[in-house]
Amino acid sequence: MMNIKTALLSLILLVLTTAVQTNVQAKEIKVIETDEADIEVRVFPAEGNVLLLGFPCDEGKSIAEEKTANSLADDGIEVWMPDMLSGFMLPKVRSSLADISTDTLTAIIDAAVKTGKKVYLVASGPDTELILRAASHWEASNEETLAGAILMFPRLFKETPVPGKMPEYVDAVGKTRLPIVLLEGGRTPNRWGINTLSNELQKSGSTVTAKVIPNVRGFFFKRQDTNRSEDVVTSQMAGLIKVSLFYL
Amino acid sequence: MIKRLLILVVLLGMSGPFFLSSVQAATLKPVEGKVAAPALTLKDLNGKTHDLKDYRGQVVLVQFWATYCGPCRQEMPSMNKMKAKMGDVPFKILAVDMGETEAEVKQFVSEVKPEFTILMDEDGQSIGDWKVFAAPSNFIVGPEGNIRYTLFGGVEWDSDELIEKIKAVGKK
Repeated sequence: MMNIKTALLSLILLVLTTAVQTNVQAKEIKVIETDEADIEVRVFPAEGNVLLLGFPCDEGKSIAEEKTANSLADDGIEVWMPDMLSGFMLPKVRSSLADISTDTLTAIIDAAVKTGKKVYLVASGPDTELILRAASHWEASNEETLAGAILMFPRLFKETPVPGKMPEYVDAVGKTRLPIVLLEGGRTPNRWGINTLSNELQKSGSTVTAKVIPNVRGFFFKRQDTNRSEDVVTSQMAGLIKVSLFYL
Repeated sequence: MIKRLLILVVLLGMSGPFFLSSVQAATLKPVEGKVAAPALTLKDLNGKTHDLKDYRGQVVLVQFWATYCGPCRQEMPSMNKMKAKMGDVPFKILAVDMGETEAEVKQFVSEVKPEFTILMDEDGQSIGDWKVFAAPSNFIVGPEGNIRYTLFGGVEWDSDELIEKIKAVGKK
């Protein structure tokens, strides 16, 4: 007969294993077939009427984002994470973004809209270009609008800004009328460009709400050398996104 | 074997442009025309006010930096050596911290030991005035108060090539 110590250990292991499974795995994989590629989408289903469509260009390996997605799904927000790079067989480098077809992005938005839920877009870093491009393209052929977009730590400079000159942004900036929440870390030089970027995004009719998260660097949730503030914010990413949705 | 070599060649071809762009060295960019340096009046860590105008007649390196910026930390020892290498050209460094607290900067100074003037800009006013969107962002201001060069990124400031160019700003 199993002694109490072994039983307890087994129970702890079972709980831990279950926790790990629910924290890092999508509950289903959906394939969206488009004219140019078949895109695998990690789906974190939920009963609520909100669908968050996230574009992490990470070849399906975004651990922090998956934990956040699970947490959001537990709170009734459905999350879809299409794997665009694998769909187009592209390497994980910034220049790959340009090779992701806009038509395919909008086909994924179409599929999300068909669920009947309110669709919000979310991306971080350079990947934010994708959702701005996709949103403006989608708006061109749809009378309705998407619910909004969250740009986390957007990196949308066309080139590294020359000191003393206004920066140039990628073409997708200032083309959509989506309401936008822009989040930036307090410990990154990019926080000083937040007003300039907001102004550019507003040129096409977007309302932009910009927030600086104190004491965190850009992409802190992907770093190995996180500080205490970054750990706390990473663990509360779902809350951060829910607060952002409130502004949209 | 031939197949492997072909794959290698294709991979190298694909990665070439990214590789080149990632190792391109930061360099001084000449500023065309006469561009007056924006105002810069800030306090140093001892509370003393520095006004860029007071350094007319000298070549001034105005740098915008932050403690969390890796290249900023790496290049500071080479900045310490600049003054000596500038010889008889009057030269000053004003290194503006980008919006951090005095405690953060003092901690950094005790570790890295910069031997030049650190200015504090907690509300970021000068960062906007100087149109700085990345760190480190550098401006070489000539003795007449015009911006002569800009440079983004970390460099070895005491390299002969850079020192000669900066010296020339003081001699024109």
